[in-house]
Amino acid sequence: MKTGADLVADALVAAGVNFICTLPDWNMARLIERISQENSWIHVRLGREEEGVGICAGAYLTGKTPALVMQNGGLLNSVNGLTTTSLQFGIPTLLVVYYAGDINTRYFSTVGDMTEPVLNALGIRHYILRDRAAVMPTIAGATVLTMDSRRPVAVLLSRDLLRSEGA
Amino acid sequence: MKRLDCLKAIAGKVGDALVVGTAGGATVEWYHLHPSEGNFRSRTLGLASSIGLGIALSLPHRKVIVLDGDGSLLMNLCGLPTAAWAAPPNLIHIVFDNEVYESSGSSPTATAGPTDLVAIAKAAGFPRALWVHDVEAFATAVADALAGHELTFIGAKVEHGIVPGIASPTMDDTENKYRFMRHIEKLEGRKIFGSGYPDL
Repeated sequence: MKTGADLVADALVAAGVNFICTLPDWNMARLIERISQENSWIHVRLGREEEGVGICAGAYLTGKTPALVMQNGGLLNSVNGLTTTSLQFGIPTLLVVYYAGDINTRYFSTVGDMTEPVLNALGIRHYILRDRAAVMPTIAGATVLTMDSRRPVAVLLSRDLLRSEGA
Repeated sequence: MKRLDCLKAIAGKVGDALVVGTAGGATVEWYHLHPSEGNFRSRTLGLASSIGLGIALSLPHRKVIVLDGDGSLLMNLCGLPTAAWAAPPNLIHIVFDNEVYESSGSSPTATAGPTDLVAIAKAAGFPRALWVHDVEAFATAVADALAGHELTFIGAKVEHGIVPGIASPTMDDTENKYRFMRHIEKLEGRKIFGSGYPDL
């Protein structure tokens, strides 16, 4: 039995991510637990999401394939770094973002309202994951896209996906 | 103590250490004194230390120096516990504390008041964090850190003021990125571009 969070962790390994920064959300607890158990990457635990933009940039400069795991509130915290480091220099980072305020969740609809418009304003392409079958190809494809375009690419994870269970 | 004199004292003595500069005057002076493909100039106030941390963790056998300012560090104070927890022994975080936001009009920072950045670094968990009060002590502290193997934070109180006659580097940011990464390829003897991830 695997949760959606396990599928995401498996997909990040398969996609070749080898440097990963995380800041928790309750709904990503299982994902971050899995990330902390993997040996295939360097894992840095953050105090604020924007520093992860810088840390991932430094890793990329040495040849790493970096990912930044955070909630969408943290994505909003990171907008200056994404603009003046990632986009300014052309530095790829896979943004793995819990979509608080998405359909069928409570309390965070305001940050949910703002998430996709902010990504659109930044010119950061994004893909919403709600379906278990889409996890592996979407994370693999988004990783190829971020590295090829040398821009961040975001994958938004729904609560229902992360909590889902299956084979 | 002048920042330029501190930098002069270590220019040419950092070997093949990689140097990440903050978005501020220290970096302009360093690029002037020590032009190198191993320099990287950040543009986001606060993130020089984070970029340096990412490099240091990824290349644990290379020394990495961060040239930071007080305003920049204050904007990313949470980076200190993050670095201390990750604890790369090859990272040397230097902060030139002139007590002002020099690049944006020289209004005071909190270090003009009661704030002690070295005390904060120690409390964050840096195993070695010290103030230096003259150029000789600064050069010694940097040399010790380069020779040693311990995450180090060096604070240097310096006079504020931009040195006339030193122009900002004209290099484009993406050019800086590519030159730095090509330099890493040479140093490490491996391809980054053109061999699959992250190069495709």
